[in-house]
Amino acid sequence: MDDYLVSVLSNIGVISFLALSAYLLLLTGEISFGQQAFFAIGAYAAGIATALWGWPLAAGLLLGALAAAAAAVLVGLPTLRLRGLYFAIATLAFAEAVRILLELFHYQAMVDGEPVGPTGADGFRGIRYIFESDVSPFQFMLVIWAILAATLVGFFLLGRSRLGVVLRMIGEDRVLAALQGVAVARCKVLAAALAGAVAGLGGGLFAHMTTYIEPRMFDIMLGVHALAYGIIGGLGTALGPLLGVLIDIGLLESVRWFAAYRMIVFGGLVALLLIVRPRGLLDEKAVHYIRQAGKKIVRTAAARLSISDRTTG
Amino acid sequence: MIDFAQNTLDGVMAGSSYALLALGFTLIFGVMRRLNLSFGPSIMVGAYLGTFLYVQYGAPSLVVALVAVAGAALAGIYVERLCFAPMAAGAGVASMVSSFAIWMQLEQAAILILPRHTYAFPPLSTAAPLALGPLLVRPDHLIVLACTAVLTAAISVLIYRTRYGLGLRAIINDTVAAHLVGVDVKKSLIVAFALASAIGGVAGYLVLAVDQQVTPMFGMWATIKGLIAMMIGGLGSIPGAVVGGLVLGIVEMHSQWHFGPQIRDLVAYGLLFACLVLRPGGLFGAPPAGETMIEK
Repeated sequence: MDDYLVSVLSNIGVISFLALSAYLLLLTGEISFGQQAFFAIGAYAAGIATALWGWPLAAGLLLGALAAAAAAVLVGLPTLRLRGLYFAIATLAFAEAVRILLELFHYQAMVDGEPVGPTGADGFRGIRYIFESDVSPFQFMLVIWAILAATLVGFFLLGRSRLGVVLRMIGEDRVLAALQGVAVARCKVLAAALAGAVAGLGGGLFAHMTTYIEPRMFDIMLGVHALAYGIIGGLGTALGPLLGVLIDIGLLESVRWFAAYRMIVFGGLVALLLIVRPRGLLDEKAVHYIRQAGKKIVRTAAARLSISDRTTG
Repeated sequence: MIDFAQNTLDGVMAGSSYALLALGFTLIFGVMRRLNLSFGPSIMVGAYLGTFLYVQYGAPSLVVALVAVAGAALAGIYVERLCFAPMAAGAGVASMVSSFAIWMQLEQAAILILPRHTYAFPPLSTAAPLALGPLLVRPDHLIVLACTAVLTAAISVLIYRTRYGLGLRAIINDTVAAHLVGVDVKKSLIVAFALASAIGGVAGYLVLAVDQQVTPMFGMWATIKGLIAMMIGGLGSIPGAVVGGLVLGIVEMHSQWHFGPQIRDLVAYGLLFACLVLRPGGLFGAPPAGETMIEK
């Protein structure tokens, strides 16, 4: 695999965490413009853990996810009663505040005779864990995708679990859900914490992939992109956000067919797509049809198999 | 004490341009009940067209201003046709994401017209600051303040005292009923969008003429400032937009003077967050009832 492809695939994998995080909140009916803040918190926490404190990567990533989840709970509690646009703008305000705080954040330690650590707006250089451990970019890409695959499995299990059903129910009609005995507030904070953890995990991986992070990277553009991925790809399945990332980064950014006109073409395409499919390519209906088709194929295959069993046996 | 008064005065001046942005924003939200993220970038398209004429052909200020306003209005109509008109009643999120996609498109188009990072913008007035007792006021700031006052009054009259405004309020109340009694819903919405974007265009022209330069960050800046001012004041409220803009301007100016630009932005976002949590309807708006962006 050539280096460029590896970097594109790693990028797709890392950004997918952010898209999944925004998607999880969309399921509960909330639009967040602020998931990039948890991505940033995860990136800084994981980076500090491995580069400054000498923790192993897994522990650093775990710390990043936990720190992001804790922050998500802190924001989730006061914004609990906000709905729709109000929630969206509150998360935006929080995320921009986090970005500015990171611009003011200085924390350095001497590592091998050199100062390492976040220096405000100048960023955080030297998150060199994967170089120092002789992990090649290709191997790290595999790590990213393995963790992403595990996260996706988690999303599928969640979708089939009671909690997953409850979350979608809150998204459909919060009052009805409460009347059915769902502890809406607790479930929403839990969803916020999970979404924060997923974003923080992605952020930790991102920091170690790029080795350099700065507050500017985590601006509102990143957050709105993350949100848009889910809605472009589809809200029917956790593969939807992944498809959205694939379309944007994989197809448009990497292939560079359009160069200067990329955003003009992409923006127009997305706007037209949303007219036809307001809940994305893989919306609930599409997922249902695909499942039905899949079941049919399995059934006919099984039927053929049993017929051939009978004729041979 | 004089510093405090001077900062407050400067805050009112800066806030009056925020108020204009919020006025355009709130008009769209009040009518559509949907967020138009492309509001700032539409203004930017107009401003860039004006700047292009100024940089290339040395167009006079008046032409630049007219082109900036007309360009913003046209971009606004484009956004309405593509992101708002074709969406089903319940697809508020789709409209918002779609307007974000068009944001990217408009910003790129503007950068294609003028690729450098900074361009000069014709100044509004280069006269020396006026002395108001011990305080100083820039003449161009006074022009901005006057424009804000006049436009706010004009919009209030339009909404509350004319036949068109009555139709618009009927649409806000119940689109189907308005349609049944003979209001041309489609035309009214296009006009409202064009009007809101034109107000934004005026605000954009004034801000840039005071700054005397234009950068590609302007679209995002206009969206964010207009949004914060609108949310503080209360969604869909005209007095709310004005008060929200002024409050934001004054708070920003004081915090900048005491703590510098980074803390200024931090304070602005903190104020927004606190307003949303403590008083979600804003200072003047009704508290949010069953209003949601995700509907089936």
